[in-house]
Amino acid sequence: MATEGATQEKITAYLATRIIPEARNIKLTNWIQTAVGWSHETYVFDASWTANGGAHQRGFCVRKDPGTGLLRELSSLEDQYKVLKALEKTSAPTPKGYWYEPDTSILGGPFLGMEKIAGEATNPWSRVGKQYYAEAAKRGKLPRSFVEALASLHNLDWRAAGLEFIGVPGPGKDFALREIAKWEGLIAQSGRKPEPVLTELLMWLKANAPVAPRLALVHGAYRTGNLMIKDDEVSAIIDWELQVIGDPMYDVAYVLSDLNREGSPLLSCVIERDLFVDYYQQLTGLEINFDACRYYQVLYMMRTAAFWLSASGLFADGRSKDLRLARTTYSVPVVLDMAAKMLGF
Amino acid sequence: MIPVKQLLNEVIASLRNVIAPAVADPYPKAQAYMTAVILEFIARQVDERTDIAEAKATELGALYEQLTRLAGMDRIVGGEPPSEAALCGLIERLYGERDRLGEKNFAAANHLIRTTLRHLLDQELKITGKSEA
Repeated sequence: MATEGATQEKITAYLATRIIPEARNIKLTNWIQTAVGWSHETYVFDASWTANGGAHQRGFCVRKDPGTGLLRELSSLEDQYKVLKALEKTSAPTPKGYWYEPDTSILGGPFLGMEKIAGEATNPWSRVGKQYYAEAAKRGKLPRSFVEALASLHNLDWRAAGLEFIGVPGPGKDFALREIAKWEGLIAQSGRKPEPVLTELLMWLKANAPVAPRLALVHGAYRTGNLMIKDDEVSAIIDWELQVIGDPMYDVAYVLSDLNREGSPLLSCVIERDLFVDYYQQLTGLEINFDACRYYQVLYMMRTAAFWLSASGLFADGRSKDLRLARTTYSVPVVLDMAAKMLGF
Repeated sequence: MIPVKQLLNEVIASLRNVIAPAVADPYPKAQAYMTAVILEFIARQVDERTDIAEAKATELGALYEQLTRLAGMDRIVGGEPPSEAALCGLIERLYGERDRLGEKNFAAANHLIRTTLRHLLDQELKITGKSEA
């Protein structure tokens, strides 16, 4: 792992030679390496420089593939960059993409640069976070903004935005089956021994896959913590790692899921269920299919188990020394228990 | 779950090679190194819980016995000795042969399997501290 100073020097040199070659005296300030996230190293900072006789400043966020991050087989930084570029032209609140750099010799892995967005992505799992979202919920503006940002994704014309490159499922059950196959692949890669509860879950999911009557851009992890918030409004949807073209009920199910509220009575710790359902249906014109949502919630539990298996596998075979990954070995039975209960056993 | 000794060894490696060297303050740095040393001793003291493995083996044996008594299940049960890995294959074969078995026989076998899966999960939950028992 490079030291903070060395990383700052390399990024300064990169900006000077590749991104803003006209700049002189580039200085980085307000440097933060965010502690959140499992897949990438993320640095947020302001750059100031002089050029053409004037002073300039711009905020940047740089995400780097550390080489051993979770989901790296499922989520390329290049795709993330292309998604951000495609979304710039839409009404969806997202950061602007600045560059994608595949050269691993610069920072030790590919990286992308994007706009630093004003606001905070407060972690909803902490006591402070829960309190922050509960208070924002009482004020009323953020819950509506939460739904409006989701609706902006589901309402956008993804073909016109040029998002077909992320893969378009075929008709019928193809979306759910593709999603299952994706996560089944991660389980296989984890190198962990076969887990019979997870096998039953996978077989049930394949046997009961719902038809997706409409396709939309689906974020894949739409919840508080993955949204930048400023002045009680969603300033940007972030963490574009799991996006797919798919059934919009997949995102709706994630919002409705108990997985994302950990004891809070509010969905995603921020919005009353009735308000979410009514306002979402009003903004999108879609009727929420609660049967499909229940199915996708089981799929999310499988996905979470796959994620934890992958995480603990990385730690168990020495590819990562991150103790957070070790802890996830104990999370697998807990999420499988939730899924088993949803399936009635 | 990751076997306990493998997990402890990786935690020790993380403390010794990543966490402790990154700590600048001498006191917490020494504490991190000492935690690694103590965990090495603990790794030599602890053994995997045998009661859980034994309970799982009993559950799996009983399940296989019950399944062989159901109509049309011989080919699906196969000749492998009962184990969690073998049960994964069995579950896949059961779903694969659902049409041949018919819904009634499939449901009977699936019910037995799910009952056993519940018991296996309850054993695992004894470790996670989320057991309802």
